[in-house]
Amino acid sequence: MPVFKYGFFLGCNIPAIRPDVEQAIRKTMPKLGVELVDVKGSACCPAFGTYPSADEYAALAINAWNISIAEEIGVDIMVECGSCYSSLKLGRDCLLRDEEKRKKVNEMLKVAGKKFEGKSDVRHIIDVLYNDVGTEKISRSINIKLDGIKVIAHSPCHMLRPSNVLGFDNPERPYMLRELIEALGAEVPRYSREFQCCGGAGGFKRRAHIEAVEYTKKKLDAIKEETDADLIVVSCITCLLHFDEIQKELTEKGKGNYSIPVFDYNQLLALCMGFDPKEVAAISIIPRDEIIERIIKS
Amino acid sequence: MAIDLTKADRTLVNEIIELGGEDILKCFQCGTCVADCPAATAEMPLRIKKLIHMIHLGLRDELLEEDSVWMCVTCTACEERCPRGVKPFEVCLAIRRWQAKEDPTYIPPALGEIFKTGHTQNVANVPELRKSLGLEEVPPTVAKFPELLKKFQEMLKCSKIVQEYGFMFGVG
Ligand code: SF4
Ligand code: SF4
Repeated sequence: MPVFKYGFFLGCNIPAIRPDVEQAIRKTMPKLGVELVDVKGSACCPAFGTYPSADEYAALAINAWNISIAEEIGVDIMVECGSCYSSLKLGRDCLLRDEEKRKKVNEMLKVAGKKFEGKSDVRHIIDVLYNDVGTEKISRSINIKLDGIKVIAHSPCHMLRPSNVLGFDNPERPYMLRELIEALGAEVPRYSREFQCCGGAGGFKRRAHIEAVEYTKKKLDAIKEETDADLIVVSCITCLLHFDEIQKELTEKGKGNYSIPVFDYNQLLALCMGFDPKEVAAISIIPRDEIIERIIKS
Repeated sequence: MAIDLTKADRTLVNEIIELGGEDILKCFQCGTCVADCPAATAEMPLRIKKLIHMIHLGLRDELLEEDSVWMCVTCTACEERCPRGVKPFEVCLAIRRWQAKEDPTYIPPALGEIFKTGHTQNVANVPELRKSLGLEEVPPTVAKFPELLKKFQEMLKCSKIVQEYGFMFGVG
């Protein structure tokens, strides 16, 4: 029987670009006693580079629109994308702290027949997995153990900082994703740039492309030189897309061979639970077939 | 180029505070916010510390030119580590809002996209792919419910940005 119930907030990139991540989450969470309901009619969080960069009230209204739907259902929101988590959680915090802003935003919501009350919280999926479900239950839920497989753990910036508002892990030395991966039986090697940002969000990649690629390359080089990792695991759609795209670009530009498969945590979990890779891990730029084969056969 | 402080604009600080840079006066220019900023590694770097100083000095024209602020990767490392609680990341967003107000060419086109479809990506555009994964062809967001998208738009029409720049949103 499910013990926990969340509104699964999709955002934009997951349902449009990596719906296999959506499916991995939909398949795995109920098996851990986490029932997921749809946040029907949700929109973009909104991403920091959009309304938050031009009109604060419009941005807060969209935050409030999304949260109000979860409030109508009577659930907290659960989200995978780091940016969505941060935007929703910071927006919610701002609306709770500032009565005047809350009043103005609720006037806007009223036109749409909605209301923000602040009853529904926003939780990142790593928080739910680690603190609600727990690593022991996860270990018991899998049929395939990742013996001998080495996995890089990359925690998204947006689930860590600003820690006073949205933090649940150690903001400088995150350990929850690492322990969640270890719960699947894998080894999680340490390396010097373990806590470096992926560099993939915001306008850096678009406006200073060469330097942004170089920034990510440093991290990938540290992984390659200091570990013999089989794959990288993230829990943020932006990190996932970025590590995949940049490795392809680096390889194509002749900067070396960058071909470490990248997975969302729930995709790896889904494979360990025995779900069909054609549904839960079907889309990638860096090929994942070989490592998926190895996992399934282990 | 020499900076002419006689032209300094004392109202700039207040405008940035009004737009969300509430704690900007606490900055004592230590540079912690730049030390671990990914976008500070760019050839034309984002130096949020410098931008804050420009605001303190009231250098309006110079601040309007600083499109470096749009490079911010939103990692909030600066906000976590600033010893004075300035919330440099919030200042970044406040500067962007200020620029978008002073010069509408700064307004990101994605605003119009979200207004029209509810999303930055067209989530209704991949029905085959989604079906092949065993998912609903269109995800249960505003993209699936036209009557909700309409309400969403009605709500956004109450915002200043849509009212002022309706043409960017295909409105009036
Ligand atoms: S870290 Fe804080 S106090 Fe130091 S320069 Fe940056 S904003 Fe100012
Ligand atoms: S939030 Fe922006 S300004 Fe702050 S450290 Fe990250 S990239 Fe730099």
